[in-house]
Amino acid sequence: MSSTLLSVRDLSVSVRSEAAPRLLLDRVSLDLGRGEILGLVGESGSGKSLFCRSLVRLLPSRALVIDSGTVLLEGQDLLQASEADMLAVRGGRIGMIFQNPTSHLDPVMRVGDQIAEGIRFHQGLGKAAAREAALEILAQVGFPDPKRQYLSYPHEFSGGMRQRAMIGVALSCQPDILIADEPTTALDVTIQAQILRLLTEIRDRTRLSIILITHDLGVVAQTCDRIAVMRGGRVVEENTKRALLAAPGHAYTKALIASHPSIPARLSPVTTTEAKAASPLRPLLEVDDLHVSFPSGAGLFSGQPRVFNALNGVSLRVMPGETVGIVGESGSGKSTLARAILGLNPIASGHVAFEGSNLATQRNATLAKLRTDAAMVFQDPYNALNPRMTVGETLAEVLRVQNKVQPAQIKARIDELLDLVGLDRDFATRKPRSMSGGQCQRAGIARALAVDPKLIIADECVAALDVTIQAQIVDLFRDLQRKMNLTLLFIAHDLAIVRNLCERVVVMHHGKIVEEGRSADVFAMPSHAYTAALISAIPDIDPDRPLHALPLRRADSLRGMSSLSLQPST
Amino acid sequence: MSVLARPAFTPGWSKAFGTNGALAAGSAILALFVLAALFAPLIAPYDPIAQDAAARLAAPSLLHPFGTDNFGRDILSRVIWGTRIDLQMAFFGVVFPFLIGTVVGTVAGFFGGVVDALLMRLIDIILAFPFLVLMLSIIAILGPGLSSFYIAMALVGWVSYARLVRAQILVLKTQDYAVAATSLGFGRLRIMFRHLLPNAIAGSVVFVMSDAVLVLLNGAAISYLGLGVQPPVAEWGVMVAEGQPFVTTAWWVTLFPGLSIVALAFGFSLLGDGLGQRLGVAE
Repeated sequence: MSSTLLSVRDLSVSVRSEAAPRLLLDRVSLDLGRGEILGLVGESGSGKSLFCRSLVRLLPSRALVIDSGTVLLEGQDLLQASEADMLAVRGGRIGMIFQNPTSHLDPVMRVGDQIAEGIRFHQGLGKAAAREAALEILAQVGFPDPKRQYLSYPHEFSGGMRQRAMIGVALSCQPDILIADEPTTALDVTIQAQILRLLTEIRDRTRLSIILITHDLGVVAQTCDRIAVMRGGRVVEENTKRALLAAPGHAYTKALIASHPSIPARLSPVTTTEAKAASPLRPLLEVDDLHVSFPSGAGLFSGQPRVFNALNGVSLRVMPGETVGIVGESGSGKSTLARAILGLNPIASGHVAFEGSNLATQRNATLAKLRTDAAMVFQDPYNALNPRMTVGETLAEVLRVQNKVQPAQIKARIDELLDLVGLDRDFATRKPRSMSGGQCQRAGIARALAVDPKLIIADECVAALDVTIQAQIVDLFRDLQRKMNLTLLFIAHDLAIVRNLCERVVVMHHGKIVEEGRSADVFAMPSHAYTAALISAIPDIDPDRPLHALPLRRADSLRGMSSLSLQPST
Repeated sequence: MSVLARPAFTPGWSKAFGTNGALAAGSAILALFVLAALFAPLIAPYDPIAQDAAARLAAPSLLHPFGTDNFGRDILSRVIWGTRIDLQMAFFGVVFPFLIGTVVGTVAGFFGGVVDALLMRLIDIILAFPFLVLMLSIIAILGPGLSSFYIAMALVGWVSYARLVRAQILVLKTQDYAVAATSLGFGRLRIMFRHLLPNAIAGSVVFVMSDAVLVLLNGAAISYLGLGVQPPVAEWGVMVAEGQPFVTTAWWVTLFPGLSIVALAFGFSLLGDGLGQRLGVAE
């Protein structure tokens, strides 16, 4: 790297609590060269974000204190700088973008004005000049019609466009360094690819240095020059991208690389040859031309309520013992389908039949059947469990209400369920908030299993978890599927996970199924353009298999008009 | 994995209060009043309604630490006995509105639609009347006395609880664990009262404490107007009212019962703050 722009030495941060102070960052030393992209990888709680916030002295809590170290930005020690000097550094020299652009953009201020504000503050330009500069930046970050989008509010944009706007705000002050904290985690893969491409382009054009925080090794493999792996507040390994990925030195780095879903699975997807031989020919679940629509608010004077069609004629058959993955981007109707199957959403037209009984015609009988033979696992593990109840109480309640075991055997059954999902038996007395995300998700799966279901619908159940935990949960599903001959409907936006777990895959787009088939076939030879786009946008951990980002306009036309509206929505 | 699970929550005295000074102080003040109420016959030096014509309007002295009123009754004893009535008023004046309000709020929030619209309009109607005017007219119809006061409180006071709980339920019923409960075949009553209400109630529990203060002041006001506790029973509000003609000459007649009201109210509000912190409402 040409010249070192930022040099961090022995940065330690600890939290002051009544008990002993706890070290959160332990002598972290890193360098960032001009025009370099440094990837900071690690799981939640490893101190990635805290490190970046410490650089600009914006610690999230008063209890946190920077103990020691130096942060030299071209010779100036930021830890010693006065608060007034820091104002010029924040934004002016070090810009930041975050995971959730929605909460970091001012909702009542026009996007263009938010960019112009920074320009006026940091560069002292006049109103008209700042406006010109802001328009230029909007064009730079890929807005097709800057004049028009200057006047838009954040809520008029899609997630990807908002992230572009936030990058625009960060760039407005011409910083030397951009800290990007999980900038693409909340985005769909195709949009993620666009944003990553944008960041590298900006770097190439302006020699901007970027610190990219992410938990996805695939993302760093595609964009970064150098990678630092963090764990428990320390940098455990740091090297150039290729060297680190080719020859990881630390055991944790090896584990991270091994658990990346783009690594071909050692285990092939669950095959159900035995199950198929034994199973009757009747499908467990049959969905036929299903339509679901939601009212999307009537116009103020038009009177006619408008409807949004979440599902447009979906047909699907699931055989007993099958593992079916449903993939698609946010808004494609995956979750709506899951809820409609379980009778949690009203159906506009079409049929859902579970074990031969029809939800539309024999609603009550089918619902009763669904409640005792099907269960759901949710995305946010903390939100899916009643926070006031212990895991044991939660499980016991299901067992009691469903009346499937004798009251005397409830205790034993709870132990059995906890064993099945790999939790210690004493977790029965714990409440969700005293457990980690992965443990909570296991408890959620135990609750689903308590029903003794024939069908489990898992709705994005690993999306909120760290990669290594994701791998564990996927393994758990694979195990359970094999042991109990479960039928699994696995909904995910992460195609790589579906490829590893599911034998059959269904691709959804705008409330329709665009492609369906055996996972191996679909991933190897996608027949629909949308599937192909989805697959090529997965960041591969191999840096020599470059990210295939669709050019913006083509991606838009592919996505159609609804979710990624560049024009203010009407 | 890097996130170590926190140890399981252990209840206990030190854990319950911990660094929560407001909760500890509020509980202590309230405990003091409860003890005074329980042991009133033992603590009070005199009979609260025994009159002593020789010692009318006596200033505080060793014999009568808080002085005496215009009938020569010992104010300290009357304050101590009054604790019984005032605590009772605070309790019953809050508990019925709380129960009615949480149930109505839960039902309205859970079912939504027509049920919700009807209940909310009923609340609007009640809120359309000035609070005290409505209370007074109800008590006027039922006749003066404490039970009338409780009934009036129950009829009028539940609306705030209903609105608080309803707002919470509206949010909570879209949470995954509520959807999960439905998908597991749980009945509506179970979902409403076992899964939603316990998670929705924290705000109301905190509000109970500040509401108790208001009820106390209301009760005092109603008694002051002669519609609540009837003489010669000792009640702080009545005592303040009775001392009013002598405020300039015998300040102690109004000061000590007044201070008691303030102290108890202070205790309740500290307890409310502490509970809020404890239940995670304040943050």
